[in-house]
Amino acid sequence: MEADLQEIGAIWRGETRRALKSGRVLVLLILFLLFVGLALTIVGGINHQINAKFDTQLAMAGADPGQAREQMVAAKKQFLSTFITDDEAMLDSLSALPLVLLVVFKLTLRFLPLFIALMGFDQLAGEVGPKSVRYLVVRVKRSSIILGKLLSQATLFGILLVICTVLMVLVSKVLNPEFAAVDVALWTLKLILTSFTLSLAYLALTALFSALTRQGAVSLVLNIIALFVIWFIALIGEAFRFPGEEALPNTLAMLKTESWVAYLRYGSVWHFGDDLLHPQTLRWMTSGLVHLGFGLVFLGLAQLALSKRDL
Amino acid sequence: MSAAIEIKNLSKHFGAKVAVNDVTFNVEEGHCYGLIGPNGAGKTTTFSMMCGFLFPTSGSIKVLGVSPSEPGALKGKVGVLPQDAILPPTWPVGDLLTYYGELSGLPNAESEARAALERVQLPETWNVQAGALSHGMHKRVSMAQALMGSPPVIFLDEPTAGLDPKIAASVRGVIRDLKGKHTVVVSSHNLQELEELCDASAILDKGKLVNASTMAELTGQMAEFRVQIARGDVPLAEVKALSGVKDARLEPGNILCVTFDGQAVQPEEIITRAVGLLASKNVLFLTVWRGKRLEERVLQLT
Repeated sequence: MEADLQEIGAIWRGETRRALKSGRVLVLLILFLLFVGLALTIVGGINHQINAKFDTQLAMAGADPGQAREQMVAAKKQFLSTFITDDEAMLDSLSALPLVLLVVFKLTLRFLPLFIALMGFDQLAGEVGPKSVRYLVVRVKRSSIILGKLLSQATLFGILLVICTVLMVLVSKVLNPEFAAVDVALWTLKLILTSFTLSLAYLALTALFSALTRQGAVSLVLNIIALFVIWFIALIGEAFRFPGEEALPNTLAMLKTESWVAYLRYGSVWHFGDDLLHPQTLRWMTSGLVHLGFGLVFLGLAQLALSKRDL
Repeated sequence: MSAAIEIKNLSKHFGAKVAVNDVTFNVEEGHCYGLIGPNGAGKTTTFSMMCGFLFPTSGSIKVLGVSPSEPGALKGKVGVLPQDAILPPTWPVGDLLTYYGELSGLPNAESEARAALERVQLPETWNVQAGALSHGMHKRVSMAQALMGSPPVIFLDEPTAGLDPKIAASVRGVIRDLKGKHTVVVSSHNLQELEELCDASAILDKGKLVNASTMAELTGQMAEFRVQIARGDVPLAEVKALSGVKDARLEPGNILCVTFDGQAVQPEEIITRAVGLLASKNVLFLTVWRGKRLEERVLQLT
């Protein structure tokens, strides 16, 4: 066991060192930052314009500023319930966040699996094709190769997440001075933990496809197809109501048909992503464990694939 | 002497294609063992199964008593120069070899890496990226990683392919130094090289084993010798009458071929007597050699 940990540690150190020295991490960081920057600019710009228009209309109508603020909060909740969630507890919790930060963060989460695929698609396939993996196989267990490389990917991705999340929060703080410093610190931590937990399953999924293939390009294409399948399963499941489920008036659920197809959502890790930000401990913990569970299943399949294949 | 590598009824199928078919042979500890055969004979497939890269379809392999497919069983006990495995191109050679040393569990990986590079005469490549190495340098760095930690069993697949004669000679020198101290398995198309280096060999053809024996047995060194005649009439009947001689005949190119009973008489004795007889009969000759050239034997068998 100790020897296994030493092997995994050695691979993790070596691969992380190599990746940090290579240009790819820097390119991905720039790509990620550009994406976040673009989202911040567009969403921040729209938000700023809506706020300005709202303030002007209120001034013209001569409304009470306190009432106007309440209306603003109500409008924000309406937006959140339409586009983000219709869970009351979640709505209350998320309304503490600047809208810009929330929207950009949600957008980033949507694209995280894609960034993970771009970063790690050739972690194993890139070594199996040119057979450089043979230099490793004679020295360490195949399982250690997967775990060491996965840990290295997680470390690098963690660094990218921290940089981008801090940037997102700081920009939101500048755009929303009322966003209290304590909240800034707490939400930064929460958002980093949320995105990292969400990443676990996708990091393992990328390792799985990289372990199944000989060519990086094939691994990337299969990985992206799998992501679409995961998204579709969740979307289809969420497009229906559970048999017997009541729909609250004036909610999106009213528009949904009852069907057993609704259960399909539980087959997709994507469905559980939103709950990672849920204020109730049981909900976010369950969601976190589901992500970990899916991650372990993907990792187990990756281990199985690499342990049984010719290299 | 015990067997360092035992191969029993080994087969490997790739779909419908049978790459290796029911192959059985042993490699004695401390021997330098050659894997011989034409292209597509199954040498590299057999080699790859011995190293644990490929899983056998049937049969078994034991290297130092364990199956190479058993996870971690041969850590630090085996060094491998794979034929066409590319070293990760973005790593500097020194860092890469040190990394490999750490993975092998070597206590002083960096100094092992430096020593191995010295051994293949490439210390100057320490800071060079593996992707920037020439073919010959790549091969030697790859050889260096196989030698690190002085593992008891070393597998070398085409160690001199594509190297210039001088470098190839130095690589052969390194292999020669390994003989006796390590069990070395060499797969190569260069039969002259194998004849010079190996104590024993297996000849494969179309996936099947056609011969597995010591080099002396294979080339008939204990059973025949040849004399290149320059001038004069060879007294065949008198040569045949020499004690221990089984047969004598003239081959095309004026070559006298003598077969003898290697159990009854030592080669040096019978060769000396035969050559003495030729000289006494004023037969002039150019060279004398034992057995057949390996190349000749392989061509005969495959």
